[in-house]
Formats: sequence, C-alpha cells, structure tokens
Amino acid sequence: MMPPLIWLHEDCLRASHNLFDHAPEAKAVFIWDDAYMNAMHYGLKRRVFIYESLCQLPVEIYKGDTATSLAQLAQDGQDIITGKTLNPALKAIMAVIRENTKLSAIADVPFVQMDSPPDLRRFFKYWNKAKKQAFSYDGRP
Amino acid sequence: MEAQKKTFPDRAALIAHVKSLSPGHDGEPVSDMVGGRIAAEAALAQIDPIAYGASRNYLDGAVTRLSPYIRHGILSLNEVRNHALQMGDDKAVEKFIQELGWRDFWQRIYAQNPDWLWADIEDYKTGFVASDYADELPDDIANGETDSAAMNHFIAELKTTGYLHNHARMYLAAYIVHWRRIKWQAGAAFFLAHLLDGDPASNNFSFQWVASTFANKPYFFNLDNLQKFAGMLAPCDYHSNKCFAGTYDDVAMRLFPNVKAL
Repeated sequence: MMPPLIWLHEDCLRASHNLFDHAPEAKAVFIWDDAYMNAMHYGLKRRVFIYESLCQLPVEIYKGDTATSLAQLAQDGQDIITGKTLNPALKAIMAVIRENTKLSAIADVPFVQMDSPPDLRRFFKYWNKAKKQAFSYDGRP
Repeated sequence: MEAQKKTFPDRAALIAHVKSLSPGHDGEPVSDMVGGRIAAEAALAQIDPIAYGASRNYLDGAVTRLSPYIRHGILSLNEVRNHALQMGDDKAVEKFIQELGWRDFWQRIYAQNPDWLWADIEDYKTGFVASDYADELPDDIANGETDSAAMNHFIAELKTTGYLHNHARMYLAAYIVHWRRIKWQAGAAFFLAHLLDGDPASNNFSFQWVASTFANKPYFFNLDNLQKFAGMLAPCDYHSNKCFAGTYDDVAMRLFPNVKAL
C-alpha cells in the first residue's frame, strides 16, 4: 500500500508531531504559497522565520498554490495527511483538497485531556478544571 | 515541480532566497529571532520557570520568548510543560504552567466558537458602544509617531523584531482601544501582521480581554505602573507620556467618564 503524502503547514512545523508517527516512511512537503501568506498579512519577518524552520525539517519545499501543488505532488490514489488546525484559511484549503483526495488531519499531543468540555466563559473556570492534569507529565490523569 | 533550496552558506543568503520568493516584501525588516527547532530547543533549555513566576510582569523579567516556536508547532505545549515540571515543584512553576494554560484556553475557545474571532463576544464595559470606536488604525500608531514615547518604543519593537513582551502588548493594546478609542479589531490586525507568534486565537481574544468584550471590565494602566514594569527598557518619563499620568481613579474618569466605578 502506498504511503500517504505528508503536507506540513505552518501550524505543525515539528518532526516529532504525531503526524510523522502515522506515516514514518512518507514523503513530507510544504507548499510555499505566496497568495496564502499575503492573505494572512505575513511580512518578511514571519516568512523568514517559517523558512528557517523548514530548513531543519525532513520536508521538501515547493512554491505554488497549495491545493494545486498538492494535487500535482500526490500520485494517483495517494492519500494526504496533515496536522489538525483551527486556522480557517487552511481548513478552506483542506476542503478543496478533499474534493478529489482523501485527506486526514492529525491532532497534536494535547496539553490536557478532559472528559467533558470545560466552562470557557472565563479563564479561571477553565483553569480550575484543567490544572489537575496540567501538572502531570504528558497531561495524563 | 522543483523543490526549493534548504541549505545556505549563511542567514543572509537564506533571507535573500526568501525575498526572492516574496515579491513586494523586499524592504521589510527581518527579526533577530531565528526560526527552527535548534533555536527552539536552545530557548527551551534556557527557561527559568521559577524566576518567571516572580518577574514575568517586568519587561526585563525572566520571560522565555518561546511563543513563536509554540505558535508554529515547533515546540508543543506538552513538551514545554514536561520540561518545566522537571525544574521545580508544582507550586514553584505554577505561574509558568498557567501561562501555557492560557494558550490552551484560547485555542479551545476558538475551536468551540470560530465566529468569535473577529466579533465582539460581549458588549464593551467602558460606558461606550462599539460604534463609538474608530474602525481604522491611524497612521501615527502604524508609524510609531503617537504622543507617547513608550508606545512609540513598543510599536518600533513590534515592527522591527516581531516580538513584544506580554505586558508591553497589554499596554499598547489598551492604549489603542481605550486611550485612542479604536476598535480592538484594528489593533489585533496590526499585531497579527507583525508578531512572529501572531496567532488569531491568542491575539484576538487577548485583545477582547483588554477591550472588555471578553472580560468583566476593561484593562488599563497608569504611568506609575508603566514606569514600574517598563521603565528599565522603554522611555516612560512623564513629559513624553503625559496621557497616562494620574491615579487609577483619575485615569478611569478620563477614559471611561460614563462608568461610575471600575
């Protein structure tokens, strides 16, 4: 079975991200998407920071539109896996990719694991529940 | 498709390559903060979470500058927490761990309420309504040419380095929203465009906390507070920062004349 293509985006620039455990042999790519970065209002400071980070990762960098480039890089029938994100711009790109390709978004290791959703109206309502695990190694009960 | 270069003789060559990939950004500054896991691990090795608890509010305090690495997933919150737990007992590192919790808190709010990112979560508690606040950031703020030398210092630092101490972010955010009566959204967009750690959730919800649209009262400060926590690094003298002078009650009466008590 063909390993998936790993798509690294700006929210998951770490070789120890769960993403790589899902497909240890897979090729990883990052798409340098100038239109995306302009839409995010990223100036040269952020662009250099991201590029420097990529240079230390097992990833190949390609320039172009993200969805179009990934469609070209993924071989016939090859799935894509990427890091889970809340970023609406990246989620929109994922929706486009999913029109033709199976794409799975893998979550990072959580800070704390909660059985039920915390009260998020104010920080200390969250913290009173989260702190039981926040001081545990790997946030485990 | 041809893969881009990943090895360079020096940082200047890397920057030149990024400029070649970034039309229209040629003349912009580059931060001294270096990206990548090597720099992130070096920064992590230097953190002092115990000293952080005592001095984090001072601009020259033991802050970690890990935020750009956490923002881009170069470091996970989990590994930063695990590292800090090895450096002291729970009580000693509590404030540091709690700050990591703030990042987690903002992300969870964002996940549950993506529509809150640019919308007022609650009404302002400033005695004003949203329409009383200007939509656009004025040029004097964007250019760091305001009537406050301290704010100009923070703006220049933000634009040059892509980083601001958290307390400086709070001062500048409060200045924009409360002293200049500008919508928090304009300030948030300005910060996001320059911060290396600019994260929509952490940045925008923090702005809403300052503005009071996600807090019980607005965050503001006075000159005494500014001088105490920022005076060692920023120009905080009275003559170039008069707008902050006075007791908290004095400042509150000037900023929020329609509110009886804060």
